[in-house]
Amino acid sequence: MASIVLDRVTVEFPIYNARKRSLKAELIRRAVGGRIQSDDDSRVSVVALRDISLMLKDGDRLGLVGHNGAGKSTLLRVLSRVYEPPVGHAEIKGTISSLTDLTMGMDPEATGYENILLRSIFLGVPIKQARQMVPEIEEFTELGNFLNLPMRTYSSGMMVRLAFAISTAVTPEILIMDEVIAAGDAAFFEKAEARLDRMVGSSRILVVASHSDTVIRRMCNKAALLREGRITMIGDVDEVLATYHGQD
Amino acid sequence: MSITIPEIASSEPPKPPSMARHLTLALEDLVKGLYDWRIWLLLGMNDIRQRYRRSQLGQFWITFAMATTIVTLGILYSYLFKMDLRVYLPYLGTSLVVWGLISGIVTDSGSAFINSEAYVKQASIPRSVFVHQMLVRNSIVFLHNLIILPPLYLFFGLTPSWVLLLAPIGVAFIILNGVWVGLLLGAFCARYRDMPQIIASLIQVVFFMTPVMWQPPQLPGRLVWLVRYNPVESFMDLVRDPLLGQAPPVSSWEGAAIVTVVGYSVSVLFFARFRARIIYWL
Repeated sequence: MASIVLDRVTVEFPIYNARKRSLKAELIRRAVGGRIQSDDDSRVSVVALRDISLMLKDGDRLGLVGHNGAGKSTLLRVLSRVYEPPVGHAEIKGTISSLTDLTMGMDPEATGYENILLRSIFLGVPIKQARQMVPEIEEFTELGNFLNLPMRTYSSGMMVRLAFAISTAVTPEILIMDEVIAAGDAAFFEKAEARLDRMVGSSRILVVASHSDTVIRRMCNKAALLREGRITMIGDVDEVLATYHGQD
Repeated sequence: MSITIPEIASSEPPKPPSMARHLTLALEDLVKGLYDWRIWLLLGMNDIRQRYRRSQLGQFWITFAMATTIVTLGILYSYLFKMDLRVYLPYLGTSLVVWGLISGIVTDSGSAFINSEAYVKQASIPRSVFVHQMLVRNSIVFLHNLIILPPLYLFFGLTPSWVLLLAPIGVAFIILNGVWVGLLLGAFCARYRDMPQIIASLIQVVFFMTPVMWQPPQLPGRLVWLVRYNPVESFMDLVRDPLLGQAPPVSSWEGAAIVTVVGYSVSVLFFARFRARIIYWL
């Protein structure tokens, strides 16, 4: 059982300029006494998410839509436990895989084989299981002998193939995606798509942010519309998309 | 419909987490951090590997640089202090190697979280992992510096004694304290970006105030407190004394124990309070 419960989550990013961030500024402020500095004290911050409440359980496939800066990526990061909300409560149960940075943990100087193990460690896969994944990744990436060479010798397309193959080798309970990855050339793209579909299909909860209606329609059974950090609408995919396109 | 906005019973605004909750999460972070040993071991080793990549001597440049410092400083200061080179050089060598570990940990602590921004912002990895990574890196450097000591002792005819076995305990003590120093300074420096510079300057002062280059007996009587109440000196003693063939004084064990208990108490509370904020400071 995987589940996600967000209860009135608000996420603000304080903006520290060089002055604000320095200890000197703080000490001077403290020394002076504070009263007069009250306008100076009003810290500038960007509210990325405001009062978000959300409940997801097994079988839910949620698509997030909204303009740039609406809070989609921040919400995804709250859902993947990266940001702990300072206000409100987030309870996320289940193993999470976030396909936002496919290469995290990989080392360009290490060989392809070594990178399979490196990346696996960051995905939380035990070494033993990672070794068992190797043949399947070999076959899927079609990199052949390149897997014995340092990754810095790869073309960017080859690097994506490898990163994609490793990151999608294990299925999490909760799958988080920020735009669906377009990997490699046309022939590989089809393979990648099939593999992604399988992963999406076997995960219990999916949350994907995308600007593509096709992707949202294909993968999701629910959608949420974000606007200026709030969920303004949640429910049926077609209805949400219609509202989204109607709002401009 | 499977997705609903949960019905919230109370309409009052959500309360910020209590200190007890903060503390639970912080302890969880520390436990999970230890459990993720593969990640920090790998990150720490990669730090070293990347620094000396494709150089012929590789990470042994660490050893080489330290050996050069010890020999040149040793010869110069044995003249300045009018001390027997056979006594002074092993003392200075041991001191510098141990000091290197302590100062390395303290200065690196400041950048523990700042340097890991990319990881912190992408995945939910316990914050303590990055402190352990910093400790792994510094331990590797220390081990490379340690290589210098056996030839140095051999050259000056120092014979090892059984107290040598106390040295690893001293090293473990230093690293154990590195955890709280890293959590505290790591978070503090992420918030106040002038702190790393302040720490770098302070550590220089501590270097001159601590018997690294000089020995306690050289100090005039009225300055003895400088050594007696110097917490860094306690840790220096715990490793240096056994390596040079004598048991560390009881006062040094006491000093180190007090620093450990007080340090952890302050640091864990501080970390508990601000752990969740660190990511917003990066």
